[in-house]
Amino acid sequence: MEYEKVYVFKPEAERPAKRRRVEPQGLQTSWQRRRQAFDQVWSVQQQAIDARLDSINSHTVDKVWQFLEQATRDGPPGRIPTGIILTGADGATGSGISKQIAERIRVGKDRRSLLSLSSSSGTNLKALLKTLILKATSRRTGSSDEDGVDDEDDELRTSRSIGPKLLNYDLQLLQDHVREHRTEQVVITFEDTEAFDSDLLSEIIELLGCWQARIPFACLFNIATSIDFLQQRLSQAAVKALAGQVFDVALSSVEVEQVCEAMFDTGKPLWIGSGLMSTMLERQHDYVISVDSFVATMKYACMSHFYANALSVFLEPDAESRDVAADHVEAVRQLDSFKTYARRLLDDHQVAVLEELLESDTALRLLVRDKVAEGRQKLSAMVQTLKVIRLVQQRLPNTPVSSMSSLYVQAMSGKLIGSPLIRSLLLTHRKTPSNIVVDLLRELMSSHTEKGTPTFSGCQELLTRLDGLIESQKHSAKPLRSEDDSQNTTLRTTVVAQKVQLSKQKSALSEQDKKYTELLGILTSGIEEIFDNNLVNPNDLVFHEIFVYDLKAPYREVFTPRPRHAIERALATPHDYLDCDCCGSGQGDEHVEATLAATQPATAVLYQLYLESGSLINASDLWQAFQAVLGDGREELEIMALFQRALAELRYLGMMKSTRTRVDHVAKVMWQGL
Amino acid sequence: MGGQLLLPDELLVMLNEKWSCREQQLRQLHALVSYNKIDTVQPKLRALAASPSTLVAYGPCATGKSRVVEAYLESHVTNRECITGRHLLERTVAAVTASLWNDKPGADQDNAYNVRCENIAALVAHLQQLLKSHDKFVLVFDGVDKQRESPPTLLPALARLGEYVPGLTTILIVQHPPPRFLHQTGVPYIHFPAYTRAQSVHILSQLPPDIFLDLPTDGTDYDAEVHAEDKAWLWPRYCAAIWDSLAQNAARDLVSFRAICIKLWRPFVAPILAGDFGTRDISRLLVAQRRLFQDETVLPDSIIASPTLAPPASQGQDKQSTPSSIHELPYYAKYLLLAAYLASFNLAKTDALYFMKSTERKRRKKGGVTARSGGRASQKRQVPRHLLGAAAFTLDRVLSILHAILPHDLRGTVDVYTLVATLTSLKLLVRGGGLGAGDALEAGGKWRVGTAVSWEYVQGLAGSVNFSLQYHVAE
Repeated sequence: MEYEKVYVFKPEAERPAKRRRVEPQGLQTSWQRRRQAFDQVWSVQQQAIDARLDSINSHTVDKVWQFLEQATRDGPPGRIPTGIILTGADGATGSGISKQIAERIRVGKDRRSLLSLSSSSGTNLKALLKTLILKATSRRTGSSDEDGVDDEDDELRTSRSIGPKLLNYDLQLLQDHVREHRTEQVVITFEDTEAFDSDLLSEIIELLGCWQARIPFACLFNIATSIDFLQQRLSQAAVKALAGQVFDVALSSVEVEQVCEAMFDTGKPLWIGSGLMSTMLERQHDYVISVDSFVATMKYACMSHFYANALSVFLEPDAESRDVAADHVEAVRQLDSFKTYARRLLDDHQVAVLEELLESDTALRLLVRDKVAEGRQKLSAMVQTLKVIRLVQQRLPNTPVSSMSSLYVQAMSGKLIGSPLIRSLLLTHRKTPSNIVVDLLRELMSSHTEKGTPTFSGCQELLTRLDGLIESQKHSAKPLRSEDDSQNTTLRTTVVAQKVQLSKQKSALSEQDKKYTELLGILTSGIEEIFDNNLVNPNDLVFHEIFVYDLKAPYREVFTPRPRHAIERALATPHDYLDCDCCGSGQGDEHVEATLAATQPATAVLYQLYLESGSLINASDLWQAFQAVLGDGREELEIMALFQRALAELRYLGMMKSTRTRVDHVAKVMWQGL
Repeated sequence: MGGQLLLPDELLVMLNEKWSCREQQLRQLHALVSYNKIDTVQPKLRALAASPSTLVAYGPCATGKSRVVEAYLESHVTNRECITGRHLLERTVAAVTASLWNDKPGADQDNAYNVRCENIAALVAHLQQLLKSHDKFVLVFDGVDKQRESPPTLLPALARLGEYVPGLTTILIVQHPPPRFLHQTGVPYIHFPAYTRAQSVHILSQLPPDIFLDLPTDGTDYDAEVHAEDKAWLWPRYCAAIWDSLAQNAARDLVSFRAICIKLWRPFVAPILAGDFGTRDISRLLVAQRRLFQDETVLPDSIIASPTLAPPASQGQDKQSTPSSIHELPYYAKYLLLAAYLASFNLAKTDALYFMKSTERKRRKKGGVTARSGGRASQKRQVPRHLLGAAAFTLDRVLSILHAILPHDLRGTVDVYTLVATLTSLKLLVRGGGLGAGDALEAGGKWRVGTAVSWEYVQGLAGSVNFSLQYHVAE
C-alpha cells in the first residue's frame, strides 16, 4: 500500500450471493407471473386504443393536409394561410393532430417543415423567434437537444458562409435555411393559442406576415374556445395577415366512447366493474381531462388488479399449463362467490362434488379454470348484446341511442335485466311498421355474421316469411302495420247523457297486417330471448372477483387526491396522525378535534385559533390566546418562539398574510372546507 | 435600407406616372435629395448640392410614403422587422454593405464587412468607415417610430448621423411625428396627406377587375376589348359609390378601401352575370344592389373569409365542413366560470345576501338598496356594476360561491384546482389584481374573469346547466 499512490479495488469474483430474506412467500410468489400477464394483456389493449384514437381524427388530418398542399400551390397573396383547429378545452387532441401531420411530413417526400410553438417557448418576441429558428435549423443536423434558450445570450450566428453575421433571432437565418434546403412550406403550429400573451401573439403574426413573401409560412392554431375570442385578442394588422380555414376535431366524449369500445372489443381477460367505470366516466364528463388520462386510469385499474390481487394469476393466457401454488387455491376457497357456489351445491345435494372441491386442489383448479373461462365468455356475450340493443335503438324511430359506455355501466351493475329501457324498447318494437322491421332484421343477421353479435334461432326463416309477405303486398305503397300500432286505433268520442265517453276502436286490419303482426311477435320474442339469454348480473357469476375489477378506492386516492383537505384535517386533528397518548386519552373520540391542548403541536394549536377568528386577526390577541393555551409551566420566550414558528408555518402554507390596511393584523386567506 | 443616389431627372416624370397624386411630394423629394449628373461625374470639382442631413417623411398609413421614397431612391426600405434596437443597428450596417456591393459587382466578397454593431456609437464608426469613399449616400429608416425596444436616444441619434458621417442623408419615415421628437430644429418635413375621394377613386380605377370571369364564347360580338372598356367604365363608378356609402366613414385609407371594393365586387356584378342588367346599367344596378352598400358587416376584417361573399366554389365546401358538433366545456368548468363571473361582478359584501342558503327567501324579499331609494335619485351617481370591468377576487371566494351555487355537494379534489389552472391557461380566468399577481403560489392571489366571459356568454352557460343566473346577480 505504501508505494502505491492509489489503491485500485479489484473484486476477486462475482459478488457474494446474499441470502435474501425477502424471498417472496405465499401469495407473493406469483407476482412475477402476474406482472408478465399484465404486460401481455395491456400491450394488446394499448395497441387497440391507439389505433382507434389515430383513426378517429384521420378525416380532419386529411383535410388539414389538403389545405396545406393547396396553400403551397396557390396561397392567398400577402396573407398567411392559417388552419384553425377547434380542439375543445382539453386540447390534447390538437397536439395529436399536429403530431400526425408532423409524421406525414417526415414520411412524405415534399419539402416541408413543421415547427411547434407553445406558450412556454418564450415570454417575449425575441425568445420566441430564437426557439423558432433553433427548431427549424437544428432539424436537419439532428442536434435536437437544445440547451436552454437564454434571453441575454445574443450571440451572433456564424453558420452563414457569406454575408454579415446575424443575430440569432433574425428571421433572415430562417430564410437562408429555407433557401438552402429549398423548403416549400414552413408550418408553424401554435399548441396552446389561448395561453399566449395577446400582444406577443399579435406581434409574431405581424412579423411572420412581413416575411411571408420571402419565407412561405403557414400557421396552425389550436383553439379551445372560439375564433371570435381569438380575433378579439389579435391586433387588426395581425387579423389582416391571416387567411384562415376552420377544422373541427372529434369531441372528447366521442373519444372516450372510442376508448371504451376498444376496451370491450379486444378479448380481454379483465373486465372493469360498473362502479369504477361510472366514476371514471363521470370524472371525464365533469372536468377538463384529456383522453390520455382516461386511458391512464384504465391502465391503472388493470395494473392494480394484476399487481395486488394474487388470484389474477388465473387470468394468465396460458394458465392451465403451469401450476398455481397451493396458497392461491386456498385463497380461492375464501372468495365470497365460491362460498355462495358451495351453498348452492349443498342445496342441490351435491355434497360429494363440494367435498372434492374442498379437499382436492386439482379439482378446484380445474373448476376455477372452467368457471373463469365461462364467466369471461358470458361477459363478452353481454357486451355483444349491448351492440344489439344499440342497433335496435338506431333503427327504431323516436328512440334515443344510448352510448356504449352508459349501457356497459348499466349492464355490469346487473340493472339492465328487465330495465325500463329494455321494456320500452320491446314495446316500441311491437308497433313498428314492416319497412323498418325488415331492415332491422337484415342488419341483425349481417352483424351476427360479421361481428359475432348474438342472434336467435329461426332468424333466416322469419326473414323469408316476412319477405314473402311484403312481396304479396307489393301493390300498395304503404308498409304493413302492426296491430299494436297506435295509428291503427282511433279514439271515438260519444256523448251519452251529457257525459263524454271515449272509446278506442281498431281500424280494420287487412289479412296481411294480421299475419305481419304475428311475425312481428315472433321477432320481438326472439329479440327478447337474446336479451334474456345474454344479459347476466356479473356479481352472480362464480369467481367474478377474479375477472371483474371494481375497486374505487385506489383510483380515487391516486387520481383525485385532496391535498387541501388533507392539510386542513391534519392541522385540525393532529392526534389522528400522531397517535400520541397525551392528547387522545380521556375524552370521547369524536370530540378530540374540538379541544385545544398544550400537548398538541404549536402549529395545530394556532390553526385552531385561526379557525375561530374572523377575516382580520389581531396579532396581539392571537398571541395572548396562544399563550393561554400553552402557558402552564413554560417560559414566555419559549412560547414566543413556538408562536412565531407556528405563525411562519401557517404563512408558508398560504393561510394568512400581512395586510396593509391594518399593520398589527394578519389577514385570513383560507377558509376551511373549500 | 441604404442606397446610393443615381438619379436621372427623367425618372421624375416616370415616377409621376406610376405614383399618381403624389406629384408634390416627389418634387419636394427631388429638390431635397437629388443631385445632377454632372456631380456624379466630377464630384470633386463642384460643391455637392446641399442635401439636408436629415429628412422626415410623415403621413397617415397607406399614403405611399415608403413606396414613393423607395421608388425614388431605388433602394430597399425595411424597418419594422427589427426586433430590438440592436437588431436595427446590425441590419443597418448589413444593408449599407449590401448596397455598396451592388454598386461594385466585381468586388471581392471575401473581405466581407463582418463586424458587430452593439450601439449607436459603433454604428457611427462603421458608417464612417464604410462611406469613406462615398460623397453621397441616403439611408432610409422606414417606420422608425414603431421600432420595438428602441432606446430613447435612438431617434435623436439617427437624426444626427449626418453630422458625423459626411455625405450621409438620413430619411426617417414616420406616421405621426410628435413635435420636437428629434430634439433638433431645422429638419425638413415632407407631408404625405391622405388621399381624397377623387384621388382614391382615380388610383383604384387604374386596375379594374374583370366583370366576366370567363367571356361568353357563344358567338356574340362581346370580345375582350369591349369587356375591358366596360369594366373600365363600371369600376370607377362602383368605387365612388362604395366610397360614398361605406369607405368615407370607415375605410379611408387606400388599402382598406381597395379591400372592401374587391370584397364586394363579385356580389355586385352578380346580376350582370345572371343577365338581369346590362354592363352600363349602373343606376338600376346600384338601386338593385343597395343592400350591399348598407351592410356594415363587411367592414371589420376577419380571419375566416365570410361565407356569404366567398366565391360559390368554396361555398359548397363550407357546407360540408360546417361544425356538426360544438366543443362544450365540462360540467364543473361551466359552474366554476359562473361562480367566477358572479364573484367578479357582485360586491363581496353582498355575498351573504345572494348565496346564503338558509335565509334565501327572507333576504331576497327585502331586496337590495333599490327598495329604499324611492323616487329621489341618490346624490352619488353610481355606474351599474356590469358596465364596469371585472373585479378581482380571491380563490377562496370563488370556491365558496361555487359550493353555494352547485345543486349538490362538491368533493373538493385536486381536479377543481386543475380546472382553475386550465381555465387560466385558456384566458377565461385571468390572474391579476393585488400584490404578487404574477406568482401563482402567492397566498391570497387574485383572479378575474377574462374578457371573453361576457354577460351573454355566461347566460349561455347558465342556460346549459339550468342555473337561474338572474337570482344571483346584483343589479
